[in-house]
Amino acid sequence: MLPGRGGVIAARTDPAVESVRHTFLTIDGDVRRMQTRALGDTGHESSIATFGAIALNWLEQEGANQMVEHVLSKGVNHFDVAPTYGDAELKLGPKLRQHREDIFLGCKTQERGYEGAKRKLDRSFDRLGVDYIDLYQVHGLEYESELDEITADDGALAAFREAKDEGKIGHIGLTSHGNPGLIRDAIDRIDDLETLMFPLNPVVVGKGDEEHDYEGVFEAAEEAGIGTLGIKAFARGPWPDTDELPEADRPFPNWYEPVDTPNEIAERFDFAAAQGLTSVVTPGDPKLVAMVLDAATRYNGMDETAQRSLVERLRHDESPVPEQLHH
Amino acid sequence: MDVPTTVTAALDDRPVRGAVCLEAGAGTGNATAGLLDAGAKQVYAVTNDPEHATIVRDRVAPSPTERARTAVLEADVRSLPLADDSVDIVTAHGLFNLVGPESVAAVARELTRVAAPGCHLVIDDYEPLPDDAAVRELFALENAASQLARGRPALTFYPADALEALFSGYGWRVDRELTLLDPVPWSESHVEAHASVATSFAADVPDPMGGTLAAETERVADAVESESAGEMYSVAMRLSDSAAVDAPE
Repeated sequence: MLPGRGGVIAARTDPAVESVRHTFLTIDGDVRRMQTRALGDTGHESSIATFGAIALNWLEQEGANQMVEHVLSKGVNHFDVAPTYGDAELKLGPKLRQHREDIFLGCKTQERGYEGAKRKLDRSFDRLGVDYIDLYQVHGLEYESELDEITADDGALAAFREAKDEGKIGHIGLTSHGNPGLIRDAIDRIDDLETLMFPLNPVVVGKGDEEHDYEGVFEAAEEAGIGTLGIKAFARGPWPDTDELPEADRPFPNWYEPVDTPNEIAERFDFAAAQGLTSVVTPGDPKLVAMVLDAATRYNGMDETAQRSLVERLRHDESPVPEQLHH
Repeated sequence: MDVPTTVTAALDDRPVRGAVCLEAGAGTGNATAGLLDAGAKQVYAVTNDPEHATIVRDRVAPSPTERARTAVLEADVRSLPLADDSVDIVTAHGLFNLVGPESVAAVARELTRVAAPGCHLVIDDYEPLPDDAAVRELFALENAASQLARGRPALTFYPADALEALFSGYGWRVDRELTLLDPVPWSESHVEAHASVATSFAADVPDPMGGTLAAETERVADAVESESAGEMYSVAMRLSDSAAVDAPE
């Protein structure tokens, strides 16, 4: 581990910096609106919470419309969707088109080749009912071989670049919850990469080993002027074994068990935002979204001591060491 | 290695790279892991608990380079098997709350003896808990059982000021103070571990007192479950560069 890397980074909670950011926090009627931060070098100022539109998949159209209105009323200007999120693209469509100029739209594809990516992009245009996507991302990079595929002459990125030249997409990004080393390789190998979406939460920060070194990814992205979007900020841990809790009995659709109380959600949001991420993506369950947005509008930095308290509390909760009396 | 953020933060501004280090009261070797990670030349991990010594040895075992830089010593921190003036950095990470008032000066004197001129000392420990903290009751039972079983408390939370004043009497001056945790997360595993220590002391106390302490410990631990309360501090001190410091006897 490098000196100074221990999960908590001083400069990012500098009170002076935070007070400048406060100029973005305005009271708009009775509605608190959240701060914004520069999304790398894209020129876009993203709200510190990004709406993960997969939440719409679990709602009927009327509820989906209300959800989008609620999200916008809190000051969210960055949405993220994917064709693999059930009906989310279709359900986002009506309100997206109504408020198109207020939404910076991220979409993505799991296709790794040129033809597939081109087809999926067109399909997303059809399903969303728009002709421009602000940010198009390689979705869920997991293996080194995929990095070879997408960067090849007939790879997905060739289709991305063509669409960018034609004015169909604005920026190119990548998402992954894979190996941090692989994500750093992607930064090195994709010169026109403008955003990255990856996990960051106090549990992975507490691990402190290379396998969980998403802080290293963050630092590399910052250095390269790449915007950073945090996922899994609200993950408590893996679901219990299916013998103990069958999949059908899980109370949330998330791939992991989320934290679900206002206090826990607020401290998780504060932690993720205090690491310096451009924006924190809301969890996939609509029941949690309003709590996250409320936390985002109240965000006011997080002391390093409180960040460490959270990391150390979760470390011991996750892996109780017998006779471990100290922190 | 898995290094707690408390240790990383406490060592961040200390010149660990290339230094000969002593972790006084190694426990499970948290500071040893942090010192090795930060590039220490040599780490003496001293503990008087054979089980802890094994844990620390196992912890450094997977890495040949870390194993080579670590010596785990089973010894009392009041009489260290180390030469005078031989250590560049001393850490006492969560040590002093386990040192009773009767021994605290002896520990300070011994750490000073092995410290080289200009040595850095890092003391990480807990401020006394606020009056309304529920874990206070658990620690009170742990102390009561320990006092009755062996004539000294299990835990003493020294304010940072008190340890600074003590060490300044041995020629150390304060370099910096830092809050490591505020609040301190006393998680379920901490509460269980303290309850288990209290129960084992209570077993050495004759009944009916022993049984009462054990039952109360169980009740309080169940009621507390976990709590975030109090503050953990880090004080960094430095020994005068001029070698001859007359330590009070």
